[in-house]
Amino acid sequence: MNVTALIDAAKDGILTGSLYALMATGLTLVFGVMDIINVAQGILVIVGAYLSYALSVHFGIDLFLGLLITIPTLFVVGIVIERAFLGRLKGPEKTAMSILVTYAVSLVIEGSLNMIFSVNPVQLHAWYVNKSFVVGGYHFAFIYLAGFALAVVLLSALYYMLYRTRFGVSVRASLADQASAALVGIDVRRVSTICFGIGVAVTAAGGMIYGATTTFNASTSYDLISRLLTIIVLGGMGSLGGAMLAGVLLVFVGNVVGVIAGAVWSTMAYYVLLIIVLLVRPQGLFGKQSARVA
Amino acid sequence: MAETAYVSIKGVIAGYGGGDVLKGVEFDVPHGGVTCIVGPNGSGKSTLLKTVSGLVRPRLGEIWFKGHNLVGMSPKEILGLGVVQVPQNHSLFREMTVDENVELGAFLVKDKKVIESRMNAVREMFPIIVERANDKAGSLSGGQQRLVEFARCLMLEPDLVVLDEPSMGLDPKTLKIMFNTIKMMNSMGRTVLLVEQNARQALKMSHFGVVLENGKVRLSGTGTDVLNNPEIGALYLGGSIEETKHAS
Repeated sequence: MNVTALIDAAKDGILTGSLYALMATGLTLVFGVMDIINVAQGILVIVGAYLSYALSVHFGIDLFLGLLITIPTLFVVGIVIERAFLGRLKGPEKTAMSILVTYAVSLVIEGSLNMIFSVNPVQLHAWYVNKSFVVGGYHFAFIYLAGFALAVVLLSALYYMLYRTRFGVSVRASLADQASAALVGIDVRRVSTICFGIGVAVTAAGGMIYGATTTFNASTSYDLISRLLTIIVLGGMGSLGGAMLAGVLLVFVGNVVGVIAGAVWSTMAYYVLLIIVLLVRPQGLFGKQSARVA
Repeated sequence: MAETAYVSIKGVIAGYGGGDVLKGVEFDVPHGGVTCIVGPNGSGKSTLLKTVSGLVRPRLGEIWFKGHNLVGMSPKEILGLGVVQVPQNHSLFREMTVDENVELGAFLVKDKKVIESRMNAVREMFPIIVERANDKAGSLSGGQQRLVEFARCLMLEPDLVVLDEPSMGLDPKTLKIMFNTIKMMNSMGRTVLLVEQNARQALKMSHFGVVLENGKVRLSGTGTDVLNNPEIGALYLGGSIEETKHAS
């Protein structure tokens, strides 16, 4: 076994996995606070990628600088989707209905993207996208490292917001128990709307890095959402810490197994891990019944 | 105790979508006292409290408090008027510390000095808050959690405290502490609206009693009147009132 290749795979797994962690954190935050499974998260990542693409190609705006526009834009998109469709869902069928509603939203967005950008795959370009440097004999692709740094910054900001701000207290309370949160004066409806906006906003960053490292079109979203959903199931539905760990595990385990046993086992490895974890802990790594912030 | 109506519940009809649970509930809660609602399971006691705190919106009817009709108001708005509810199931945020939970009781208060002074006041009333300040609320026993919930509800200095079966799951010793705490809250000038399965004990300390049956008021009067009503005693208080007299 080539140890250097193994360490490379592990390193890339952690760097790339952090992006999945970021995208999945948005998904699990929305589920935790709202009991909504947003299957449109995958296509929204692609929207983020296309927005960066449009800003870069048509306005010459740098990919990272463009995030100052795409993140707020997707935040607003999230608010609009929540207010227009999801806020109306109520009752015991809410979670099941949310899958149908967000799938419908996803189809509409997918069709619109195909119409605007065509189905031809594209990739984001910038001078640094293919740059790499060597540290201690190991190659580091700049874009993956930058993506990792971006994920760390955004996840840290999210954690700061959750644990150091008044709004964060209301989010954590809503995550734990919506009725009890309402009884202490928290406007759970408002918290839900903002959380959905945040959950969608993080896709802008994820989408930009994803689009810079992979060719994509609207259909790419299906692969993305299946990965994101398995991440939040492995981490524990509604657990932010779980989503982060499972996001890194998804790529890390796949990469390492790919080096050891061959590429065909790479994807399967994560799902085997998922099945084993669910057999032992049906609620996922950090999933809890009553308190879901790990 | 003044006998003026503090809360007026008028013709409230409410449910959860599968039919009405409350079918025209009507009574007044006197100012400054303890009002206890008793009744068999499924009579609508908890649903009624949820309509007062805004968790359930009545289909018809009015709930008047301080000149405001609470029907249609959000839980936050109702809380802002000084109505605080401690629900039946433990409502502490298990992953937060005891201190954080208590402080959340003053979520609507913006002034940090006011929050700190109220925290100090409830710390004096409930030593458990000081002893377990940094422990996660989920690690507390059921009785301790209930006391922390009481402390939290006082953080807003409410005018009306709504308690839904506060004795549920408590051992006899904690039960006594809990009832004493309710008396203490009342002696501090808070009006208490209480639903309690432990009806006999609750009615004894209540100024006013209401019996709910099938979503309607079957009987209302002073706590003693309700407690001494032989029919109600037999039906809802676990035996006739005569037996109770002999037992005591």
